[in-house]
Amino acid sequence: MIDHATLALLLKGVNAVTWQSLFMIAVSFVLLYLAIAKDYEPLLLLPIAAGCMLANLPLSPLIAEDGMLKVLYNMGITNELFPLLIFVGIGALTDFGPLLENPRLVLLGAAGQFGIFMTLMFALLLGFSPQEAASIGIIGAIDGPTSIYVSGILAPHLLGPITVAAYSYMSLVPIILPPIIRLLTTKKERLIRMPYSQRKISRRTRIMFPIVVTVLVGTLVPFATPLIGMLMLGNLMKESGAVERLTKASAAEIANTVTLFLGLAIGSTMVGTEFLKTSTLAILVLGIIAFAVDACAGVLFAKVLNWISGGKVNPMIGAAGISAFPMAARVVQKVAHSEDFENFLLMHAMGANAAGQVASVVAGGVLLALMGAGG
Amino acid sequence: MRRYTLDISGREFVIDVQELAADRFEVKVGGEAYEVTLSGDENLAETSITPAISNGNGASPVVIAPRIAPKAASQAPIESVTAPLPRRAPTGAASKATLTAPMPGMILEVNVKVGDTVVRGQQVAILDAMKMHNMIGATRDGVIAEVFVTAGQSVDHGDSIVAFKMD
Repeated sequence: MIDHATLALLLKGVNAVTWQSLFMIAVSFVLLYLAIAKDYEPLLLLPIAAGCMLANLPLSPLIAEDGMLKVLYNMGITNELFPLLIFVGIGALTDFGPLLENPRLVLLGAAGQFGIFMTLMFALLLGFSPQEAASIGIIGAIDGPTSIYVSGILAPHLLGPITVAAYSYMSLVPIILPPIIRLLTTKKERLIRMPYSQRKISRRTRIMFPIVVTVLVGTLVPFATPLIGMLMLGNLMKESGAVERLTKASAAEIANTVTLFLGLAIGSTMVGTEFLKTSTLAILVLGIIAFAVDACAGVLFAKVLNWISGGKVNPMIGAAGISAFPMAARVVQKVAHSEDFENFLLMHAMGANAAGQVASVVAGGVLLALMGAGG
Repeated sequence: MRRYTLDISGREFVIDVQELAADRFEVKVGGEAYEVTLSGDENLAETSITPAISNGNGASPVVIAPRIAPKAASQAPIESVTAPLPRRAPTGAASKATLTAPMPGMILEVNVKVGDTVVRGQQVAILDAMKMHNMIGATRDGVIAEVFVTAGQSVDHGDSIVAFKMD
């Protein structure tokens, strides 16, 4: 005989379905579609979508105590291990040559972080706590690992929406940057050509750079030490050429493995009852404001540089002062090329972009210091 | 790093050249590494060179110092290599008649051949720089007189890509 108790046991899963979980499963389908059909950051969105789907299935054992997703979360997100490992890989893939050839571009990287602090103010006005506001502002850097790192320390409960915002806006860089660039620059400015500077950067300089930056930034902004340290470790391994196998492993195997773990763990934080709040919507909107303001500040500052230099700096490269390396620089090059096929700004944009990568890390460290993280 | 693959009397040699400084290169031939210093800067771009390293401004004879295994110098084929390296126009010729690489990178595609008529802006080649595909367009209307690059070849800033026939 099947009585009601047995039936309830058998249908426990079906009974535990909530509208929130159904909605989040639908969200995961959208993310899967974007990743597979639209090729939007598939390496990140696919694992995030899978994590989200698996976590929202009724009574999912994966997010129960000792469930795999929970284990991954504790293993690498709560203690910041995963974003730091990713940074080693990013460092191993970043070429700081264009920045070293033209060091004044570092100013553009600094200007490109303005939106972070402005969005922080907005978020405070909307009633977010200072810690939450700082975590939301960092989305503007369009730098996934830094966003995860900062919000993981300051506001772990907002990690899901912040990460999704940071990574989905990364794929929106080619859509959002060009209109901002066109709005803030004149046709004449966009046509400014910047010849490639043929300064040779010696191997010694390339090796010294990551070491000096680590010591300098680590001393000035101690909270940025983990991020800058790992980024520059990757770069040192690449530039030294002494540990090719480690460089390759960091840039490929380790980065790929960690990306999978990171995506799954982040996806598992998107549980319907926690994720479906008005604050999530506010975070998504504020994040895009932070991004846009960052880009505007970069372009406007580059216009100042152009004015000071007597018309030698194309203001467009300021838009690459946000992070999102190397996508932002490529978008700048595309816009330049579409207006004048003989104009190649790529190397200058890459320099500004590499500066933005370092600057967003420093900005993250400054935010952590301001919030008095770590007690 | 640049890789030259030379076919000499049916035997293939792969030569890897890594720039250490403006006048110092590490050259790997057949698994042996040498440190090479450019001894002068004569412009020999259009001649055959024995052995030769091109530095973008032409090429010059080199002083080879075997670094890893001195005895390998006699076995290594480099001493007997007599072959023209990928040709570059002398810098002096880089006038409007020549289209040069706007930045360092690798040529992915060459879309024209000698004798082709092109119009300004027409795609001549694709240059891969910083992992981005850049369309290189013809700088003027005209007929292609010479193509200096092949697909897969690394170019430095200022290296010639194609030359146009002068009227």
